[in-house]
Amino acid sequence: MRQVLKQLALVLAITAWVAFAWSGAAWAKTSGATTSGATPGAKRVTVTGEIVDTWCNVTMIMFAEGSAHYQCAVWCAVGGIPVSIKDEDENVYVVLRVEGEQSNVAAPSIVRIQAHQVTVEGDLIERDGVKYLLVTQVADDQGIVNLSHQDTAIQPFGK
Amino acid sequence: MRQVLIILAAVLALVAGPAQAAKEWGIDGEEVAQFEAKAVDVLCELTGDCPKNCGAGKRQMGLLSDDGTLRLAIKSNTLFAGAVLDLLAWCGKRVEVDGLLIKADPMTFYMVQRLRAPGAKKWTNARAFSKAWATENKQKNASRWFRKDPAIKALIKEFGPVGIPGATIPKD
Repeated sequence: MRQVLKQLALVLAITAWVAFAWSGAAWAKTSGATTSGATPGAKRVTVTGEIVDTWCNVTMIMFAEGSAHYQCAVWCAVGGIPVSIKDEDENVYVVLRVEGEQSNVAAPSIVRIQAHQVTVEGDLIERDGVKYLLVTQVADDQGIVNLSHQDTAIQPFGK
Repeated sequence: MRQVLIILAAVLALVAGPAQAAKEWGIDGEEVAQFEAKAVDVLCELTGDCPKNCGAGKRQMGLLSDDGTLRLAIKSNTLFAGAVLDLLAWCGKRVEVDGLLIKADPMTFYMVQRLRAPGAKKWTNARAFSKAWATENKQKNASRWFRKDPAIKALIKEFGPVGIPGATIPKD
């Protein structure tokens, strides 16, 4: 009888340990889901920064920020060059989707807000040196706040 | 005479070689890069959301190498235009590209300057946007397309050249 009770206690202990371990794993998975984005492998983020023309801005082939570069940013966006958001830490987030829109080439919704200061929420996917952003919501659009045309000629070619 | 011809051929090869390779821009972090890869819809590659024909020109395109490296192709040989239409013709297929791999501080990307089928001799200049724009807008060519494009002209008319209606524009 004593032997049976010992075995029963052992089985209960193992069962309890397995149940605890399983619940812990399940909790960790659920917890991870709350910090991940809706897109598999993505991380939910909030980004504040200026809408920029990725080519001109990152290559620095010209002054490419704010109102002085607005016209060129429109040219490049209409020309199909990816649009990005550049934050105050100089991170560049390539926008691959805005609020469910299927097109990310010359999409009217983003062409119209070149050089604007925005705050967006979205899913961040980092791969091979690029931060890709799938914007789920444009939470704030302050318009153009970087009035660089007051100090710099329109870039490039002037008006 | 034979030696003269050999020297002449060598000189011609030296002159012609660099002219045919990708053009350097002098950008920090750039390197000429010629490689084979599969042309892909980047959003499809990242998320599994894959419309037909790589989005038919409405999705940013990239180059997926055999080792799994994905390069975002953001620029072509047309002024102020991307490489989407150049790579669209190769959607889901292998293509050999020549251009600039730019490893800048915030990000790494690729500028496509010319393309060809793997193993082919003849390159195609990456100017698909120019051809498409000229056709769509019934123009002989796409010279200064960015000054003539109806959508751009409408936006500049609405918001002005600095994006702020009514803003005073200082002289250049």
